[in-house]
Amino acid sequence: MDKTLKTKESTSVSRRDFFKKTASISAVAAAGLLAPATLNADDPAIMHHTKWGTTLGDGCNYHPYGIPSKYEHNIVRRTSALMSSAGDMHAAISMTPLYAQKGIITPNGLHFTRTHNGVAHVDPNEWRLMIHGLVEKPIVLTLEQLKRYPSESVIHFVECPSNGAAEWKGPQFNSVQFVRGMMSCAQWTGVRLKTILDDLGLKPEAKWMLAEGGDGSEMSRTLPIEKVLDDVIIAYGQNGEALRDEQGYPVRLLAPGWEANLSVKWLKRLEFGDKPWYAKEETSKYTALTASGRAIQHFYALETNSIITSPCPEIPWTYLKKGEMIEIQGLAWSGYGTVRGVDISFDGGKNWVEASLKGLILPKCWTRFSYMYKYEGKPLLLQSRSYDDSGDVQPTVNQEKTVVGVEGVYHRNAIHTWEVTAKGEVNNVQVRS
Amino acid sequence: MFKLDRKSILIGTSAFAASVVLLSGCGDSTSTGVASNTSKSCEIGVYKIIDKHAIDGGVIYARQNGVYTDYRYNQQSMKGLNYGRPATANEIKAWNVDALPDGTGLPKGQGSVEEGDELFEAQCASCHGDFGGGGKGYPQLTGGNQDKDENGIVKVLKNQRLLPGMAAPKRTVGTYWPKATTLFTYIRDAMPYAHPKSLTDDQVYAITAYILSQNEIKIDGVEMDDEYVLNAKKLTQVVLPNNNGFYPDIDGAKGPANVKAFFADRAKNIGMGTRCMHDCKDISKDGHGKMVAPSVFKIKYEMSDVVPPYAYARDLPPEVDTGLVSKGEKMYNTSCKLCHGTDTMGAPMVGDKEAWASVMQKGLHEVVHNAIAGTGGMPPKGGNADLSDADIKTIVEFMANSSK
Ligand code: HEC
Ligand code: HEC
Repeated sequence: MDKTLKTKESTSVSRRDFFKKTASISAVAAAGLLAPATLNADDPAIMHHTKWGTTLGDGCNYHPYGIPSKYEHNIVRRTSALMSSAGDMHAAISMTPLYAQKGIITPNGLHFTRTHNGVAHVDPNEWRLMIHGLVEKPIVLTLEQLKRYPSESVIHFVECPSNGAAEWKGPQFNSVQFVRGMMSCAQWTGVRLKTILDDLGLKPEAKWMLAEGGDGSEMSRTLPIEKVLDDVIIAYGQNGEALRDEQGYPVRLLAPGWEANLSVKWLKRLEFGDKPWYAKEETSKYTALTASGRAIQHFYALETNSIITSPCPEIPWTYLKKGEMIEIQGLAWSGYGTVRGVDISFDGGKNWVEASLKGLILPKCWTRFSYMYKYEGKPLLLQSRSYDDSGDVQPTVNQEKTVVGVEGVYHRNAIHTWEVTAKGEVNNVQVRS
Repeated sequence: MFKLDRKSILIGTSAFAASVVLLSGCGDSTSTGVASNTSKSCEIGVYKIIDKHAIDGGVIYARQNGVYTDYRYNQQSMKGLNYGRPATANEIKAWNVDALPDGTGLPKGQGSVEEGDELFEAQCASCHGDFGGGGKGYPQLTGGNQDKDENGIVKVLKNQRLLPGMAAPKRTVGTYWPKATTLFTYIRDAMPYAHPKSLTDDQVYAITAYILSQNEIKIDGVEMDDEYVLNAKKLTQVVLPNNNGFYPDIDGAKGPANVKAFFADRAKNIGMGTRCMHDCKDISKDGHGKMVAPSVFKIKYEMSDVVPPYAYARDLPPEVDTGLVSKGEKMYNTSCKLCHGTDTMGAPMVGDKEAWASVMQKGLHEVVHNAIAGTGGMPPKGGNADLSDADIKTIVEFMANSSK
């Protein structure tokens, strides 16, 4: 999202509508959890044969390429015209529904999408990758040739540095999908760029690499050699299948932990040079203007960050009864390294307790955290704060804005606050001076 | 950070405390020998770091003995694979068209401000506004006050919207962009939006000249009037007002080292939190510049204009209309809708009865001809040369029929 968000006068109607809708999910949850006990009657879902239990199901090749249950049709990427470079959907972004995210792998159809000239549809037979500049042996690769190199599969999050940018000046969206959904996490398969470069012979003068995309915007960025030789891969696989068009089919760069924009999609050319290029997306955009009036450029890694995904405005606690135990859970990540821990506050950051990490703990990857909480029906200001093995600790809104101001657009990783009301509703708020 | 601290103390007291080795992972069985044999070093998610000051401020993990953090890899040699074929000189020439701020790579050619003015009005103003001044929802390219403060900083870039009503910083080519070569390469590669790479190098020089002149840029002290002709040499001489507005300094031999030094001090340069656990105070300046404790800010104007609308029910999706989308509509959607789907671009909007009634007064033949040949802000065939004349006729019929 490359421009300052316009605020729109919201009507009280839309807000009420929203709560009607959130009420309906809690109703669904309630139907599942509470109905038999509270109604004290036999559950018809048990007492009757079901439709699917009394009819022949579909054949096994009904969908040669499977799709989600049709009952999940509302779990989709969402966007807002307010979040594009323009009032259209071609230089725009769509957000992953984090409230529905299970585990740490985002299904390919729900991976967030950001494009600068629409989603390109590249014919893999005509796709070529050129690697040239300060290398001994400039080459051209076809897709088949690229896939002959030994492959690596690594799980990394990919995050737009604008994630959360709508919130620099205050809370705007009452939805975790919009608050933090410009990110996803997948297992990426490809070739480590260093493996190819070892063959080509990188010249010692090479300090920078230009990565250029083949879409209509020829999206390009400059990366320093140190990163290129560490963990950058040329990826063609996403969660076991080919990349989706939206993620750069057939081939994208993957710069783990860094601004997603540097993981150039529809990759076409890698050039090695001794000077940085100053592409549009590293000058006009993806530079963070600070209060000094000067801007940070070549801002690479995404800082350590975390968000509670349950509860959230989409999954409120309206169905809970006092005294019931409930899991608070969410996602933590860091582009600098590996998440070491997450703390949770119930009082807006005055006091903190340690949450547990759970599942896989991998570098530059989503990490799940969990805390069992006894619900008391009291208003809360719920926060999470992550820290990593590089020494980074997630800042408060105040700590972040004191150093960089509020107009930087990019790299906002301030601690997020959900207000939980006495009724268990969850709202996006900010704790700040 | 107490877990980390405990770990570095553990390693720090061991005989193998090489300064770079901070942490040791479970898979690290041979290299240091010491830490890995103690069960404590096998903490989940603790990996061996070989550099804690990577260029981005992060860490670099060891790749040793087939172990990289929690991953394993094949340790056999990967040398001599040699799968690609050499790129030919012509191929490199065809694709290597980027240009650096020092002018390396800029093509031959030239164009005047006046030519640029005409091209801009015809091909760019519909989105970027008259004179590039914005106002149509697409990026504003010109305008903004370029005055600088005593430290040489463009004043409008210091604007901070801490309170309602405060002015936003203005980011245009004149106030914000550091390099004019970027403008040239970006326009040539990416604009006009609906049919990028359709401009000749001369045309791109002309449009670049026009945008620079609208931003009141002087080249080597010379004002850019209508007759001013821009070429590679002159473009390289442009010093944009905000040329020095970016940090860390990435130029020259020390560029990468500067970046590394900048991100090494993240607490100072980009801000960082602290792991306070109890009675934490978070006092800071409010929008009026006074030091105050934080309070709770709620949503003032909720952004609920989302697509598709918020919905959470686990129900059956609404029946989809199985009526087939016509060929005309499909082609319209991919090649014409961008401009004809709204009434903001000067194109007759599909669905606007009056607009289309007036267009069709000319007769179908004439209108189809105009769509094929282009007219005013309408590029030939909407910018998609792959469409046949018959396709255009099909689309125009669809557009007209949908606007009755
Ligand atoms: C159909 C609308 C449209 C037309 C016509 C158009 N542009 Fe653009 N332009 C855009 C959009 C959208 C972006 C932002 C793209 C992105 O997000 O990367 C853009 C971005 C730009 C930028 C970069 C702006 C910035 O601040 O980063 C420049 C320069 C530009 N266009 C120049 C031109 C020129 C010159 C023409 C005519 C030859 C033109 N555009 C025609 C839609 C348009
Ligand atoms: C870049 C924006 C753009 C695109 C893309 C575009 N048009 Fe247009 N079109 C315009 C504008 C602007 C006009 C108004 C021209 C004028 O009258 O000056 C126009 C006018 C027209 C007209 C009316 C011509 C007349 O005689 O008045 C037709 C028909 C038309 N377009 C068809 C198409 C078709 C078919 C496509 C897709 C193949 C298409 N356009 C794509 C911008 C566009």
